[in-house]
Amino acid sequence: MKKTFTIFAMITSILAIILSVLPVSNLAVFPAIAALIFGLVAFYLSKKTGAVKKIIQFSFLLTIIALGITTYKAIFNTVELGNTDTLIKKEAESKEQAIEELEELDLEEFEAEDIDIEGK
Amino acid sequence: MRIKVLLFFLFTMSLTAQNNAISPGEKLVYTASYNMSGILTDLAEVTMETSAVKTSKATLLRLKCTAATYSQWDDFFKIRDLYESYVSPKSLTPYLYKRDINEGSYYKYMKYTFSHKTKAAKSQLKKKNNYEVHKTVTISTGTKDIVSTLYNLRILDYSKMSHGAQKTFTILFDAKEIKGQITYLGREQISTAIGKKECYKLAIGSNQTQVLEGKNNNFLWLTADENKIPVYGKFKIPVGNGELKIKSAMGLKH
Repeated sequence: MKKTFTIFAMITSILAIILSVLPVSNLAVFPAIAALIFGLVAFYLSKKTGAVKKIIQFSFLLTIIALGITTYKAIFNTVELGNTDTLIKKEAESKEQAIEELEELDLEEFEAEDIDIEGK
Repeated sequence: MRIKVLLFFLFTMSLTAQNNAISPGEKLVYTASYNMSGILTDLAEVTMETSAVKTSKATLLRLKCTAATYSQWDDFFKIRDLYESYVSPKSLTPYLYKRDINEGSYYKYMKYTFSHKTKAAKSQLKKKNNYEVHKTVTISTGTKDIVSTLYNLRILDYSKMSHGAQKTFTILFDAKEIKGQITYLGREQISTAIGKKECYKLAIGSNQTQVLEGKNNNFLWLTADENKIPVYGKFKIPVGNGELKIKSAMGLKH
């Protein structure tokens, strides 16, 4: 039982560390909470049976680091749009191309009242 | 029996609703987020913009939607999508539609040229490695593309609708006609980045039975004013929810 909780605490704390360094750092909260719970149970069981293993303390350390990174990123990181130069260029090209394509269309076939036809 | 009664009162609206909500120069900016148990992660910025496009014969309305991921996501999964629809300014009937998708290493270009008189649409599909397919698709009366359908939601008269009223749209998507459905769920007041707004709540994409049984998870809130701008969207995805929240609104008609 003690071993199982220790393994779970280690796995979830490693997962929390991985998530905290990714853009989805907010989601690291879930495994971090799980790691704390598993760690505390493992710590309690270890204390009952004898000496507390260093690995449990290590999982606590990893969890605290993960929560620290997550909190820092949530407070100081602001979301900003990536480079959209290519998209802006594409938008302009597409508009020019569309005007040419619309010129080719037989607009006479469209309902006269539906469209603002100049000079009519 | 209850469903039959509701179906009996099903509201059918005219297909030729007139645009009194959208004008050129409008710009709506949204944040697309992922919500898992209340923890929000911002993914991308979505922009919906309108402008006038003049040809020698007519002035059309260009409806442009773009989606771009935030810089922190660009190294993992970069999205730069462009959707355009060139429509009649009065009825929002589409004449030309373009979709240019750049998602990670995936690229797709789709173009439809609508001919409502002959009830046909010419489609052009382009993918990587010079893959190109041309098709002519038969369309029904009132078939629209996805962008003009989205804008069409804004020219419907919700004030006359009763709770549970439905509207079905025919949408041309991937060179196939598909049916889209909205269900009016009444008014609701919500807080947004542009203030507290009285909104029309709509359920999207599911039939009425599912909605009334609470099985629907895709909702859209439009302001209950003359502009009827979408201010909030909630969409069910396999794990958690996708959310679309308004960030700013400029150049509104009213």
